[in-house]
Amino acid sequence: MSTHAHAAEPLVADDWSGGTFPYHIGHRKLGMWLFIVSDALTFSALLIGYSYVRVSSDAWPAPFAFYPSIIFSTVMTLCLLASSFTMVMAVSASARRDRRRARRWIGATMLGGLTFLALHIYEWLHLINDYGLKPFSLPAEWLARWPQASPLFGATFFAITGLHMFHVLTGVIYLGYIALRIRRKTHEDVEISGLYWHFVDLVWMFVFPMIYLLSVDFHPPGH
Amino acid sequence: MSTRFGSLGNLMKKQDLILNAVCLLFATGFVVMALSNVRWAGNFFSIDSLFFTLVSLLLAGIFMVIPLLWAHENGVLKNLFAAEGDDVPAEPVPVHFAGTTKLFLAILGLLLVLTVVEVLLAYIQVPLVLMLTILVGLSLIKAALILAYFMHLRYERMSLVYTLIPMLVICICLLFIFFPDGFRQLGLRVYR
Repeated sequence: MSTHAHAAEPLVADDWSGGTFPYHIGHRKLGMWLFIVSDALTFSALLIGYSYVRVSSDAWPAPFAFYPSIIFSTVMTLCLLASSFTMVMAVSASARRDRRRARRWIGATMLGGLTFLALHIYEWLHLINDYGLKPFSLPAEWLARWPQASPLFGATFFAITGLHMFHVLTGVIYLGYIALRIRRKTHEDVEISGLYWHFVDLVWMFVFPMIYLLSVDFHPPGH
Repeated sequence: MSTRFGSLGNLMKKQDLILNAVCLLFATGFVVMALSNVRWAGNFFSIDSLFFTLVSLLLAGIFMVIPLLWAHENGVLKNLFAAEGDDVPAEPVPVHFAGTTKLFLAILGLLLVLTVVEVLLAYIQVPLVLMLTILVGLSLIKAALILAYFMHLRYERMSLVYTLIPMLVICICLLFIFFPDGFRQLGLRVYR
Protein backbone atom coordinates (compact mmCIF):
# COMPACT_ATOMS: atom_id res chain seq x y z
CA MET A 1 0.00 0.00 0.00
CA SER A 2 2.77 2.35 0.89
CA THR A 3 4.29 1.83 -2.54
CA HIS A 4 0.98 2.82 -4.10
CA ALA A 5 0.83 5.98 -2.04
CA HIS A 6 4.37 6.74 -3.07
CA ALA A 7 3.55 6.31 -6.75
CA ALA A 8 0.57 8.63 -6.45
CA GLU A 9 2.68 11.44 -4.99
CA PRO A 10 5.54 11.98 -7.45
CA LEU A 11 6.28 15.45 -6.09
CA VAL A 12 7.60 14.16 -2.75
CA ALA A 13 11.27 13.56 -3.44
CA ASP A 14 12.87 11.01 -1.14
CA ASP A 15 16.14 12.94 -1.35
CA TRP A 16 14.62 15.59 0.85
CA SER A 17 13.04 13.36 3.50
CA GLY A 18 16.23 13.18 5.54
CA GLY A 19 19.06 10.72 6.07
CA THR A 20 20.86 11.49 2.79
CA PHE A 21 22.84 14.31 1.22
CA PRO A 22 20.23 15.98 -0.97
CA TYR A 23 22.85 17.82 -3.03
CA HIS A 24 25.23 14.87 -2.93
CA ILE A 25 27.86 17.06 -1.25
CA GLY A 26 28.75 17.54 2.40
CA HIS A 27 27.34 20.38 4.45
CA ARG A 28 30.67 22.22 4.64
CA LYS A 29 31.07 22.26 0.89
CA LEU A 30 27.50 23.51 0.56
CA GLY A 31 28.37 26.22 3.07
CA MET A 32 31.33 27.31 0.94
CA TRP A 33 29.10 27.40 -2.15
CA LEU A 34 26.57 29.61 -0.35
CA PHE A 35 29.39 31.89 0.83
CA ILE A 36 30.68 32.10 -2.74
CA VAL A 37 27.23 33.11 -4.02
CA SER A 38 26.92 35.86 -1.42
CA ASP A 39 30.46 37.05 -2.08
CA ALA A 40 29.75 37.07 -5.81
CA LEU A 41 26.85 39.41 -5.07
CA THR A 42 29.18 41.71 -3.11
CA PHE A 43 31.51 41.96 -6.09
CA SER A 44 28.60 42.39 -8.53
CA ALA A 45 27.28 45.25 -6.41
CA LEU A 46 30.72 46.89 -6.43
CA LEU A 47 31.19 46.44 -10.18
CA ILE A 48 27.68 47.73 -10.91
CA GLY A 49 28.29 50.66 -8.56
CA TYR A 50 31.44 51.42 -10.56
CA SER A 51 29.47 51.19 -13.82
CA TYR A 52 26.82 53.50 -12.36
CA VAL A 53 29.40 56.14 -11.45
CA ARG A 54 31.03 55.77 -14.86
CA VAL A 55 27.85 56.15 -16.97
CA SER A 56 26.67 59.12 -14.90
CA SER A 57 29.98 60.97 -15.25
CA ASP A 58 30.77 63.41 -18.04
CA ALA A 59 34.19 61.91 -18.60
CA TRP A 60 36.21 59.07 -17.19
CA PRO A 61 39.99 58.92 -17.15
CA ALA A 62 41.60 56.20 -19.30
CA PRO A 63 45.06 56.13 -17.73
CA PHE A 64 46.30 52.63 -18.61
CA ALA A 65 48.66 52.69 -21.58
CA PHE A 66 48.78 49.39 -23.50
CA TYR A 67 52.44 49.12 -22.67
CA PRO A 68 53.39 48.81 -19.81
CA SER A 69 50.10 48.96 -17.77
CA ILE A 70 47.89 46.53 -19.70
CA ILE A 71 50.72 44.08 -20.36
CA PHE A 72 51.54 44.23 -16.64
CA SER A 73 47.97 43.43 -15.57
CA THR A 74 47.77 40.72 -18.25
CA VAL A 75 50.76 39.04 -16.60
CA MET A 76 48.89 39.29 -13.28
CA THR A 77 45.88 37.61 -14.92
CA LEU A 78 48.09 34.81 -16.25
CA CYS A 79 49.48 34.28 -12.72
CA LEU A 80 45.97 33.82 -11.35
CA LEU A 81 44.90 31.51 -14.20
CA ALA A 82 48.01 29.37 -13.76
CA SER A 83 47.44 29.18 -10.00
CA SER A 84 43.85 28.10 -10.63
CA PHE A 85 45.17 25.26 -12.79
CA THR A 86 47.68 24.15 -10.14
CA MET A 87 44.84 24.18 -7.60
CA VAL A 88 42.82 21.81 -9.80
CA MET A 89 45.87 19.54 -9.93
CA ALA A 90 46.12 19.70 -6.11
CA VAL A 91 42.47 18.63 -5.75
CA SER A 92 43.05 15.90 -8.33
CA ALA A 93 46.10 14.60 -6.40
CA SER A 94 44.16 14.74 -3.16
CA ALA A 95 41.33 12.72 -4.73
CA ARG A 96 43.92 9.99 -5.44
CA ARG A 97 44.98 10.26 -1.75
CA ASP A 98 48.41 11.45 -2.90
CA ARG A 99 48.92 14.01 -0.13
CA ARG A 100 52.56 14.80 -0.86
CA ARG A 101 51.75 15.84 -4.39
CA ALA A 102 48.66 17.70 -3.24
CA ARG A 103 50.81 19.71 -0.84
CA ARG A 104 53.29 20.52 -3.61
CA TRP A 105 50.56 21.66 -5.99
CA ILE A 106 49.03 23.81 -3.22
CA GLY A 107 52.48 25.32 -2.70
CA ALA A 108 52.61 26.18 -6.42
CA THR A 109 49.16 27.75 -6.12
CA MET A 110 50.29 29.90 -3.19
CA LEU A 111 53.32 30.96 -5.20
CA GLY A 112 51.03 32.10 -8.04
CA GLY A 113 48.85 34.00 -5.56
CA LEU A 114 51.86 35.66 -3.91
CA THR A 115 53.28 36.70 -7.31
CA PHE A 116 49.91 38.23 -8.14
CA LEU A 117 49.88 40.09 -4.82
CA ALA A 118 53.44 41.38 -5.26
CA LEU A 119 52.75 42.64 -8.81
CA HIS A 120 49.46 44.20 -7.71
CA ILE A 121 51.04 46.03 -4.74
CA TYR A 122 53.82 47.28 -7.05
CA GLU A 123 51.17 48.65 -9.39
CA TRP A 124 49.27 50.35 -6.55
CA LEU A 125 52.43 52.01 -5.27
CA HIS A 126 53.25 53.14 -8.82
CA LEU A 127 49.82 54.78 -9.16
CA ILE A 128 49.95 56.33 -5.68
CA ASN A 129 53.57 57.55 -5.62
CA ASP A 130 54.43 58.26 -9.26
CA TYR A 131 51.04 59.67 -10.36
CA GLY A 132 49.59 60.85 -7.04
CA LEU A 133 46.25 59.08 -7.49
CA LYS A 134 43.99 59.42 -4.43
CA PRO A 135 40.62 57.83 -3.66
CA PHE A 136 38.64 61.07 -4.05
CA SER A 137 40.78 63.22 -6.34
CA LEU A 138 42.61 62.82 -9.63
CA PRO A 139 46.22 63.83 -10.31
CA ALA A 140 46.47 67.30 -11.89
CA GLU A 141 48.15 65.77 -14.95
CA TRP A 142 45.13 63.51 -15.56
CA LEU A 143 42.66 66.38 -15.02
CA ALA A 144 44.49 68.35 -17.71
CA ARG A 145 44.14 65.46 -20.16
CA TRP A 146 40.53 64.54 -19.29
CA PRO A 147 38.77 67.74 -18.23
CA GLN A 148 35.62 67.22 -16.10
CA ALA A 149 36.65 63.63 -15.42
CA SER A 150 35.03 62.14 -12.35
CA PRO A 151 37.20 62.31 -9.22
CA LEU A 152 35.79 58.94 -8.17
CA PHE A 153 38.12 56.95 -10.43
CA GLY A 154 40.48 56.31 -7.51
CA ALA A 155 37.63 55.33 -5.18
CA THR A 156 36.26 52.68 -7.56
CA PHE A 157 39.73 51.43 -8.52
CA PHE A 158 41.06 51.09 -4.99
CA ALA A 159 37.82 49.67 -3.57
CA ILE A 160 37.34 46.94 -6.15
CA THR A 161 40.95 45.87 -6.67
CA GLY A 162 41.62 46.31 -2.93
CA LEU A 163 38.78 43.99 -1.93
CA HIS A 164 39.97 41.48 -4.51
CA MET A 165 43.54 41.74 -3.22
CA PHE A 166 42.22 41.09 0.30
CA HIS A 167 40.50 37.96 -1.02
CA VAL A 168 43.74 36.75 -2.63
CA LEU A 169 45.64 37.36 0.63
CA THR A 170 42.98 35.47 2.62
CA GLY A 171 43.13 32.66 0.07
CA VAL A 172 46.91 32.36 0.36
CA ILE A 173 46.67 32.17 4.17
CA TYR A 174 43.82 29.62 3.94
CA LEU A 175 45.77 27.46 1.46
CA GLY A 176 48.88 27.70 3.65
CA TYR A 177 46.89 26.39 6.60
CA ILE A 178 45.49 23.50 4.53
CA ALA A 179 48.96 22.64 3.15
CA LEU A 180 50.57 22.68 6.60
CA ARG A 181 48.01 20.35 8.13
CA ILE A 182 47.29 18.28 5.01
CA ARG A 183 47.88 14.97 6.82
CA ARG A 184 44.95 15.68 9.13
CA LYS A 185 42.73 17.10 6.39
CA THR A 186 40.26 15.13 4.31
CA HIS A 187 39.84 15.37 0.56
CA GLU A 188 36.77 17.52 1.14
CA ASP A 189 38.84 20.16 2.98
CA VAL A 190 41.22 20.46 0.02
CA GLU A 191 38.28 20.62 -2.38
CA ILE A 192 36.59 23.42 -0.38
CA SER A 193 39.78 25.51 -0.31
CA GLY A 194 40.02 24.92 -4.08
CA LEU A 195 36.48 26.24 -4.55
CA TYR A 196 37.43 29.45 -2.74
CA TRP A 197 40.59 29.88 -4.79
CA HIS A 198 38.78 29.36 -8.11
CA PHE A 199 36.21 31.93 -7.04
CA VAL A 200 38.95 34.51 -6.45
CA ASP A 201 40.19 33.74 -9.98
CA LEU A 202 36.65 34.01 -11.36
CA VAL A 203 36.15 37.47 -9.84
CA TRP A 204 39.36 38.70 -11.45
CA MET A 205 38.00 37.54 -14.83
CA PHE A 206 35.44 40.35 -14.46
CA VAL A 207 37.60 42.93 -12.67
CA PHE A 208 40.40 42.80 -15.26
CA PRO A 209 38.27 43.69 -18.33
CA MET A 210 35.95 46.10 -16.52
CA ILE A 211 38.64 48.13 -14.71
CA TYR A 212 41.69 47.80 -16.95
CA LEU A 213 40.67 46.95 -20.51
CA LEU A 214 37.87 49.55 -20.56
CA SER A 215 40.29 52.30 -19.49
CA VAL A 216 43.02 51.84 -22.08
CA ASP A 217 44.89 55.03 -22.96
CA PHE A 218 44.91 55.01 -26.77
CA HIS A 219 47.19 58.04 -27.08
CA PRO A 220 49.67 58.04 -24.21
CA PRO A 221 51.58 61.35 -23.95
CA GLY A 222 55.04 59.87 -24.49
CA HIS A 223 54.20 58.49 -27.98
CA MET B 1 -8.18 0.85 -2.51
CA SER B 2 -6.47 0.73 -5.86
CA THR B 3 -9.49 2.27 -7.64
CA ARG B 4 -9.38 5.15 -5.19
CA PHE B 5 -5.75 5.83 -6.01
CA GLY B 6 -6.56 5.39 -9.67
CA SER B 7 -9.20 8.12 -9.57
CA LEU B 8 -6.78 10.31 -7.60
CA GLY B 9 -4.24 9.81 -10.37
CA ASN B 10 -6.86 10.81 -12.95
CA LEU B 11 -7.69 13.92 -10.96
CA MET B 12 -4.01 14.86 -10.75
CA LYS B 13 -3.66 14.38 -14.49
CA LYS B 14 -6.56 16.75 -15.06
CA GLN B 15 -5.10 19.25 -12.63
CA ASP B 16 -1.75 19.04 -14.42
CA LEU B 17 -3.46 19.63 -17.74
CA ILE B 18 -5.31 22.73 -16.52
CA LEU B 19 -2.25 24.12 -14.76
CA ASN B 20 -0.06 23.62 -17.82
CA ALA B 21 -2.66 25.18 -20.10
CA VAL B 22 -2.98 28.26 -17.87
CA CYS B 23 0.80 28.62 -17.62
CA LEU B 24 1.28 28.26 -21.37
CA LEU B 25 -1.47 30.84 -21.93
CA PHE B 26 0.27 33.35 -19.66
CA ALA B 27 3.68 32.64 -21.19
CA THR B 28 2.30 33.15 -24.71
CA GLY B 29 0.60 36.35 -23.56
CA PHE B 30 3.88 37.78 -22.26
CA VAL B 31 5.73 36.80 -25.44
CA VAL B 32 3.00 38.54 -27.46
CA MET B 33 3.43 41.62 -25.25
CA ALA B 34 7.18 41.63 -25.87
CA LEU B 35 6.71 41.20 -29.64
CA SER B 36 4.03 43.92 -29.82
CA ASN B 37 6.45 46.21 -28.00
CA VAL B 38 9.07 45.54 -30.69
CA ARG B 39 6.47 46.37 -33.35
CA TRP B 40 4.88 49.50 -31.86
CA ALA B 41 7.34 50.96 -29.37
CA GLY B 42 8.78 53.46 -31.86
CA ASN B 43 12.37 53.66 -30.65
CA PHE B 44 13.08 50.08 -29.56
CA PHE B 45 16.55 50.81 -28.16
CA SER B 46 15.40 53.04 -25.33
CA ILE B 47 15.73 52.18 -21.65
CA ASP B 48 11.94 51.92 -21.17
CA SER B 49 11.43 49.69 -24.18
CA LEU B 50 14.33 47.38 -23.33
CA PHE B 51 13.18 47.15 -19.71
CA PHE B 52 9.62 46.33 -20.79
CA THR B 53 10.88 43.64 -23.18
CA LEU B 54 13.16 42.15 -20.52
CA VAL B 55 10.42 42.01 -17.89
CA SER B 56 7.91 40.49 -20.35
CA LEU B 57 10.36 37.81 -21.45
CA LEU B 58 11.37 37.10 -17.83
CA LEU B 59 7.72 36.62 -16.84
CA ALA B 60 7.15 34.42 -19.89
CA GLY B 61 10.17 32.35 -18.84
CA ILE B 62 8.89 32.02 -15.28
CA PHE B 63 5.50 30.80 -16.52
CA MET B 64 7.25 28.31 -18.80
CA VAL B 65 9.04 26.71 -15.83
CA ILE B 66 6.02 24.67 -14.69
CA PRO B 67 5.18 23.11 -18.11
CA LEU B 68 8.88 22.40 -18.70
CA LEU B 69 9.27 20.73 -15.29
CA TRP B 70 6.12 18.71 -16.01
CA ALA B 71 7.50 17.68 -19.41
CA HIS B 72 10.83 16.72 -17.81
CA GLU B 73 9.12 14.69 -15.09
CA ASN B 74 7.05 12.77 -17.63
CA GLY B 75 10.03 11.97 -19.78
CA VAL B 76 8.95 14.17 -22.69
CA LEU B 77 11.95 16.44 -22.24
CA LYS B 78 15.41 15.13 -21.44
CA ASN B 79 17.70 17.24 -19.32
CA LEU B 80 20.34 18.42 -21.78
CA PHE B 81 22.73 19.70 -19.14
CA ALA B 82 22.80 16.76 -16.77
CA ALA B 83 26.16 15.03 -16.46
CA GLU B 84 26.57 11.30 -16.83
CA GLY B 85 25.57 9.32 -13.77
CA ASP B 86 23.28 12.04 -12.47
CA ASP B 87 20.85 9.50 -11.03
CA VAL B 88 23.39 7.62 -8.93
CA PRO B 89 21.89 7.06 -5.45
CA ALA B 90 23.47 8.96 -2.58
CA GLU B 91 26.41 7.26 -0.91
CA PRO B 92 27.24 7.68 2.76
CA VAL B 93 30.30 9.83 2.00
CA PRO B 94 29.76 11.97 -1.09
CA VAL B 95 33.32 12.31 -2.39
CA HIS B 96 33.88 12.00 -6.05
CA PHE B 97 36.20 13.61 -8.54
CA ALA B 98 35.98 13.75 -12.30
CA GLY B 99 38.17 15.15 -15.03
CA THR B 100 41.61 14.37 -16.35
CA THR B 101 44.78 16.45 -16.54
CA LYS B 102 44.24 16.67 -20.29
CA LEU B 103 40.78 18.17 -19.81
CA PHE B 104 42.04 20.72 -17.27
CA LEU B 105 44.93 21.69 -19.56
CA ALA B 106 42.44 22.17 -22.40
CA ILE B 107 40.27 24.41 -20.19
CA LEU B 108 43.33 26.39 -19.10
CA GLY B 109 44.33 26.81 -22.76
CA LEU B 110 40.83 28.02 -23.65
CA LEU B 111 40.87 30.53 -20.77
CA LEU B 112 44.28 31.81 -21.89
CA VAL B 113 43.11 32.18 -25.50
CA LEU B 114 40.01 34.12 -24.40
CA THR B 115 42.19 36.39 -22.23
CA VAL B 116 44.55 37.05 -25.13
CA VAL B 117 41.54 37.90 -27.36
CA GLU B 118 40.36 40.40 -24.74
CA VAL B 119 43.77 42.05 -24.53
CA LEU B 120 44.00 42.09 -28.33
CA LEU B 121 40.69 43.99 -28.46
CA ALA B 122 42.25 46.62 -26.20
CA TYR B 123 45.21 46.80 -28.58
CA ILE B 124 43.21 47.35 -31.78
CA GLN B 125 41.11 50.10 -30.14
CA VAL B 126 37.49 48.94 -30.49
CA PRO B 127 34.76 51.56 -29.73
CA LEU B 128 33.79 51.60 -26.05
CA VAL B 129 30.23 50.20 -26.16
CA LEU B 130 31.14 47.39 -28.58
CA MET B 131 34.20 46.68 -26.45
CA LEU B 132 32.07 46.47 -23.28
CA THR B 133 29.63 44.07 -24.94
CA ILE B 134 32.34 41.75 -26.21
CA LEU B 135 34.30 41.86 -22.96
CA VAL B 136 31.28 41.03 -20.80
CA GLY B 137 30.33 38.22 -23.18
CA LEU B 138 33.83 36.71 -23.13
CA SER B 139 34.06 37.11 -19.35
CA LEU B 140 30.77 35.25 -18.92
CA ILE B 141 32.13 32.40 -21.05
CA LYS B 142 35.30 32.31 -18.94
CA ALA B 143 33.28 32.37 -15.71
CA ALA B 144 31.13 29.51 -17.00
CA LEU B 145 34.24 27.46 -17.86
CA ILE B 146 35.76 28.03 -14.41
CA LEU B 147 32.46 27.20 -12.68
CA ALA B 148 31.77 24.10 -14.76
CA TYR B 149 35.19 22.46 -14.81
CA PHE B 150 37.55 24.00 -12.24
CA MET B 151 34.82 24.32 -9.62
CA HIS B 152 33.46 20.93 -10.63
CA LEU B 153 29.88 22.14 -10.98
CA ARG B 154 29.33 20.17 -14.19
CA TYR B 155 29.77 16.93 -12.30
CA GLU B 156 27.60 17.85 -9.32
CA ARG B 157 23.90 17.17 -9.01
CA MET B 158 21.69 19.47 -11.01
CA SER B 159 19.79 20.33 -7.82
CA LEU B 160 22.90 22.17 -6.57
CA VAL B 161 23.19 24.12 -9.81
CA TYR B 162 19.48 25.00 -9.70
CA THR B 163 19.87 26.21 -6.12
CA LEU B 164 22.95 28.38 -6.66
CA ILE B 165 22.98 29.83 -10.17
CA PRO B 166 19.45 31.16 -11.00
CA MET B 167 19.27 33.02 -7.68
CA LEU B 168 22.62 34.66 -8.36
CA VAL B 169 21.69 35.63 -11.92
CA ILE B 170 18.32 37.09 -10.91
CA CYS B 171 19.85 39.12 -8.05
CA ILE B 172 22.52 40.53 -10.38
CA CYS B 173 19.86 41.40 -12.97
CA LEU B 174 17.88 43.20 -10.27
CA LEU B 175 20.93 45.42 -9.67
CA PHE B 176 20.60 46.67 -13.27
CA ILE B 177 17.63 48.75 -12.07
CA PHE B 178 20.17 51.46 -11.14
CA PHE B 179 21.33 52.12 -14.71
CA PRO B 180 18.33 54.20 -15.92
CA ASP B 181 19.03 56.53 -12.98
CA GLY B 182 22.70 56.72 -13.97
CA PHE B 183 21.78 57.90 -17.48
CA ARG B 184 19.21 60.33 -16.03
CA GLN B 185 21.88 61.87 -13.79
CA LEU B 186 24.10 62.44 -16.80
CA GLY B 187 21.25 64.36 -18.48
CA LEU B 188 20.68 66.53 -15.41
CA ARG B 189 24.08 68.26 -15.56
CA VAL B 190 23.74 72.04 -15.98
CA TYR B 191 27.31 72.98 -16.87
CA ARG B 192 27.70 70.78 -19.94
